[in-house]
Order: sequence, then C-alpha cells, then structure tokens
Amino acid sequence: MVSQVVKVTNEQGMHMRPASLFSQTVTPFTSDVKVVFNGTSYDAKSVMMLMSACIKCGAEIEIVCDGPDEQDALKKAVELVEAGLGD
Amino acid sequence: MKITDLLKKDGINLDVKASNQEEAIDALISLHEKVGNLSDVAKFKEAILAREEKGSTAIGMGIAVPHGKSDAVKTAGVTAITIPSGIDYKALDGNPSNLFFMIAAPNTEADTHLEVLSKLMTLLMDPNFSKKLVNAKTADEFLAIIDEKEAEKDKENAAKAAPAAKKVSKIVGVTACPTGIAHTFMAAEALELKAKDLGIDIKVEKDGSGGAKDVLTDSDIADADVVIVACDKNIDMGRFDGKKVIITSTKEAIHTPEELLNRATSGNVDVYHFTGTKTASVSTSNETLGRKFYKHLMNGVSHMLPFVIGGGILVAIAFLIDTIAGFGTSGGGNFGQMLPLSAFLKSAGGTAMGLMVPVLAGYIAYSIADRPGLAVGFVGGLFAANGNPALMGATGPNFPWVNALLGLEDAAPLDGFNSFIGNFAFTNNGATVSGFLGGIAAGFLAGGIIICLRKLTAGFPKSLEGIKPVLIYPLCGIFIISVLMSFILNPVIALINVGLSTMLTSLQAAGLIALLGLILGAMMAIDMGGPINKAAYVFGTGMLAQAALDPSLGTAAYISMASIMVGGMVPPVGIAIACKLFPNKFTESERETWITNIVMGSSFITEGAIPFAAADPGHVIPCTLVGSGVAGLLSAIFGCTLMAPHGGVFVFATVGKWPLYILAWLVGSIITAVMLGLIKKPVNK
Repeated sequence: MVSQVVKVTNEQGMHMRPASLFSQTVTPFTSDVKVVFNGTSYDAKSVMMLMSACIKCGAEIEIVCDGPDEQDALKKAVELVEAGLGD
Repeated sequence: MKITDLLKKDGINLDVKASNQEEAIDALISLHEKVGNLSDVAKFKEAILAREEKGSTAIGMGIAVPHGKSDAVKTAGVTAITIPSGIDYKALDGNPSNLFFMIAAPNTEADTHLEVLSKLMTLLMDPNFSKKLVNAKTADEFLAIIDEKEAEKDKENAAKAAPAAKKVSKIVGVTACPTGIAHTFMAAEALELKAKDLGIDIKVEKDGSGGAKDVLTDSDIADADVVIVACDKNIDMGRFDGKKVIITSTKEAIHTPEELLNRATSGNVDVYHFTGTKTASVSTSNETLGRKFYKHLMNGVSHMLPFVIGGGILVAIAFLIDTIAGFGTSGGGNFGQMLPLSAFLKSAGGTAMGLMVPVLAGYIAYSIADRPGLAVGFVGGLFAANGNPALMGATGPNFPWVNALLGLEDAAPLDGFNSFIGNFAFTNNGATVSGFLGGIAAGFLAGGIIICLRKLTAGFPKSLEGIKPVLIYPLCGIFIISVLMSFILNPVIALINVGLSTMLTSLQAAGLIALLGLILGAMMAIDMGGPINKAAYVFGTGMLAQAALDPSLGTAAYISMASIMVGGMVPPVGIAIACKLFPNKFTESERETWITNIVMGSSFITEGAIPFAAADPGHVIPCTLVGSGVAGLLSAIFGCTLMAPHGGVFVFATVGKWPLYILAWLVGSIITAVMLGLIKKPVNK
C-alpha cells in the first residue's frame, strides 16, 4: 500500500468535472484507489463518492493506492491533482 | 445547508416529455426561470451548454447533474425533472438518464455549487433513493423523499462525528475554595461545561462546605489521564501521587477553562509526586458496612487521642505534686487540688479530657458527613459527656419556671408542654452522662442526620445551595441532635444508671462484699466514664460520704472504694502490657501510647483505655471487663480498703493491705493483657 498527501489547487475544488476526470484516470488501474479527506476514505473510482466528499480548493487529501499497480496509479493520480485536475 | 433550501416545489417537474438532452436542459432552465433564480436566461443556457461540451454531466446510474456558474444567476438554486422513460445524456456508463438536477450558481467566490453537489451526491449514492425519486408522483412527494433522506444522512454524520470528536483522554478535577460556597461550584461548572463542549470526559469533585460532592473514587483517579486541581485551599493530594496533575486556582478554572482542558488533553503535564503521609483514601462503594463503620470510628478515635494523653498526664502530675507536698494521706476527696499549682494542673487536664467525647463524636460525624457533620457531632458529643442540662440552681423572681418545677409555693404552675420539657430535659445532672459509648452513638447519629438533611434538601433550587452549609445543616442538625440526646438517649442512660445504683445498694445491703467488689471492678471497665462506670463510682463515693456519718458502714464503704479504684486502674495498664507482649495486635500509634497508659493507669485515669476500647469495642471491652472484675474481686476478698475517692498509686499510702492491693491490680492487668492477646485480631498491615 502506498499513499501520498497532495493539495487540491484548482480554484473550484473537486467539482463534477475534476471528479469525473479523476475517477476516469484511476479506474483503469487494478489497484484500489481511495481518497482520504477529513478522516473519511472515499472510493476514487466513483464520481459520486468523490463529489460527496466536498473537497474544496486548498484542501489536503491523501491518495491511497493498494494493489499490483499501486505505484503507477498513485503517480498518475498525484500528477493529475497537482496539475489542477484539468481546470 | 439543505437541498430543500435550494430546491423549491416550483422547481420540480415530474414525468417530463423530453426526447433529447437539449429538451431536458430547456425544461430545467425554464423551471429556474419560473422560480426566479435567473437574470438572463439565454446567457445561463450558454453556460450550461458550454459545460456539457466539456464533458457530460451524467454521472451514471441514470442521474445527470447539469450545472452552470454564471453572472446570469441571481440566486443559487436547484431544479429537478424526471423523465421516467429515460433519454441518452451521454453518460459515462452508456445508460439512459431519467433523473435530472440542475444547479445554478452565481459567479461568486463561494463554494455553494460544490457544497450542493457534494450533498446531492451523498444522497444519490443510495440507488433506492434515486429510484424512489424517479417514481415520485407529485412535487410534494419528491421533496418529502429528499427531506427524509437528508435527515437520515445528517443523523448518520452526527453519529460518525461524535465518536471522532470524543477525546481519548479522561480527566478528573477537584475544586475547592476556603468558604466552599461559590467559587468551588463555579469552577466545577466552568470545567464541566467546557469539557462537554470539547467532548472531553470529565468528573469534577466539589469540596464545598456542604461536604464533598461527586467524590473521586480510587478507580476514577486510576482511570484518569490527567488531574486538574483547581483549589484555593489545601486538599488531600496524596491520592494523586504519580498522576499527571495540573495545580491551579478556582479563578483560572472559572475564567480560562478551555486553556486548562487543552493543556490537560495535550498530555504535556508534569507528574505529581506527593510528599507527606497519605490519608485514608476514598474507597469505592464496594466497601463493607463494617469497614465503613470502623473507618468513621477510627477517625473519631485518632482525633480524640491527644486530648486523653495530654489531659491525663496533667492530672497525674497534679496527683504527684500533692503526694510530694504530703497530702497523700490527708487529701481525701480533694486530693489533686490541695495546692494552687496542682489544682490548676488538674483543672487543665480535666478541661482537655472534657473535650474527649465531643471530639470523638464530632470527628465520627465529620468522617461520615464531612464538614457539616462536625458541629452537629460536637454538640451531640457534649450532650453525651455532660448529660442533660441540670436544672438551674437559681430560684427567685427571675426563674418562675424553675420555681414551678421545684414546687415552690409562690410559683405559677407550668402548662403541659413546658412542664414536660422542664421535667424531662433537665431531669438529671449526673446520671444522664453516657460517656464515650454515648459519644460514639452521638457521632453516628450526627452523621446520619446530615446525610438525611442532604437528601431532604436535594430538591432545593441551585440558588439555595450556598445556604445549606451555613444555615440549614447547622441549624436543623444541631436542633435534631439536641432533641435526640436530651429526650431519648440521655434519659435511657439515666434509667440504666438508676437501675445499677439500686442493684449495688442491694448487694451491699445483702452483705455480699466479694460479689460487690467483682461487679464494681467490672463496671469501671465497661464504658469508662459512661453510665455504668458512673454508677459504680458514684456508689463508691456515696458510700464514703455515708461512712463518714455512719461508721458502721465503714468497712463496706472502704472495701467498695478500693475495688472501684483498682477496677479503674487495670484497663490502661493491661493494655500497655498487651502493647508490649502482642505488638502485632496494635497499630504503631497505639503502641506508642504504652508509657502514657502506664502513667494513666497508675493515676486511676481509666480514660487512657478509651481510644483502644472505642476503636475495637467488641474485643477490648470484654478483656478490660474481666481483668478489672478479677482485680475488684481479689481486692474485696483480700479486704483491701481505701478512704480516698481517687489518686491511684499516689494514695496507696492510705490503702489498707496495700501489697495485696498491688497484687490484685497486677493480676487484673495481666489477665486483661493476656485476653487481649487471645481475643484481639492482628492489625492488618
């Protein structure tokens, strides 16, 4: 299991489009990908879960990947968030 | 924020006939227009379509959430439609969409849009919920389904949030201020309220003047991570040895409870080391009744001990001085006060010993009921020590009721009630003394009275809390104990006293001198100053007085007096010997009194045995009783005589057949000591 804390920098936070993008990015990996925010863990492959977390701009989230391709999945996910989630 | 704050009934349209994405969007926008969320319909539609072009807002499971953030939005709002047959909204999962929410957000910094989305998603994750919405028949039903689900979710979140907020640490506190009325409780309340806010588990002991409330038990303290002591006076700190303790004032606790609690939960607190002797801990409720009884009793006995020792030795010194001055044979009834110096010492010692029983009773009550018990116990103890008040000696125009009771001719008779009180409460002035056994009873009574008063006044408003220790407890408590002692306990004691005196007189009349000696000796050692002892002693001195008038009574009187004195000299000496022979049967502080007890026994100050008898009456009294009885019997059989009413070894010069008298004394003492060794239980330590 690997994990990394990243800061959400896009102005509008994890709204629908970034959430879809995020889940689309991590879905192809076989590893479980989770976002831990505010003490709760959310399944990053579900758009609805991600959106329900209400992650705002400036929030720090921890991305947790667990599975055979966990390293790659984490790397992709972190890159995406750092790049501003496509906004 | 609630979904239904943003989604109005007018913003809902069910079972919409739309066949494609644009028709659905139009339907949703027209609802926004109808509710009045928009300032520019065309511009808002542009924003929505622009968003859809970037990627579909259909999130799967038949749900689509088109949204736009635009200047064209006046007020944030949500509209909803259902298209039960479903349309293709380019969903990620390829399924048709049938439930649509459109979010309109004004172009501001606020994250309204994100929050609404998050909330909506939380609800929509439950497939049953979205199915219910699609099947809803009316807008009201639609809203009701959302409301219900939202309430359910809020509850879940609250439940989830609560344990997370609950602190890992458990805190206990003690508050106390010198007066114990206001600040003690204010500080405790401040801590408790703030702890509740912060989700901290706290128990605060309030050492107020009404007695300690919510007393911390040993297990409370053991479980606590941190102890907050917010006190302006000394409290029992021994129990916190080795714990993390914050020592502060009530002022701090009242003004900055949050700071204190945060400091406590941070765990950054020094460990406290107690230097001093630990006092008896407050043990848990699993203490047996007998153990509690013993604890209260010992609290009284340990406070009484200094009075006995100091007073007793002063009296012995007074006897010694008179002996040196040559009054050993001629002092008689006034032995011990034949010179100003000896009289002073005897009076000082007598004053100290006079406090014995009140202190015993007071501190038994204190142990039971805390500070309010003390005053009530003292008063009860004084009633036990002094007996009922004596009828005022003075008569005359100022004392018509005394005159009436005395049956003086010119007095107007009293009415029934007053005559009852006058006749009953003032009946006796010596026979109603109940001594230390009465003092023990008074102490427990006093403690019980305060506990009852506390229960009775528990329902009083909080604003009256301060008045309880300064008015209600002392006033009601002292009144009740006075009534109980004067009208119930002391009169019963008087009956015993009179009965015993009658018995002694008939024994003497029957000429059973040996039996009389046995009984007199034994009576001296049962209650040591109580009614039984008193009856024997008064009988002896009464006989002496009669013998002075009627010389034919002489031998019986002097033999009786000798038995009485030897009976009173045995208990302290017997106990002192036992302390040396069987040290494991006594506590350290008890063992240290052995010399004092030899001195007191030798001086015929039986009171030296009281602390032992009071601490363990069931085992000690039988031993002293038998020892003194044997000594009295031997003394009578030997025909020892004594003409002085007291003085101990200092008046041995006046004792007839004194070598045999000493023998009787020693035999009695040794019997007492050996019996103590056999009967008394070892001190568990």
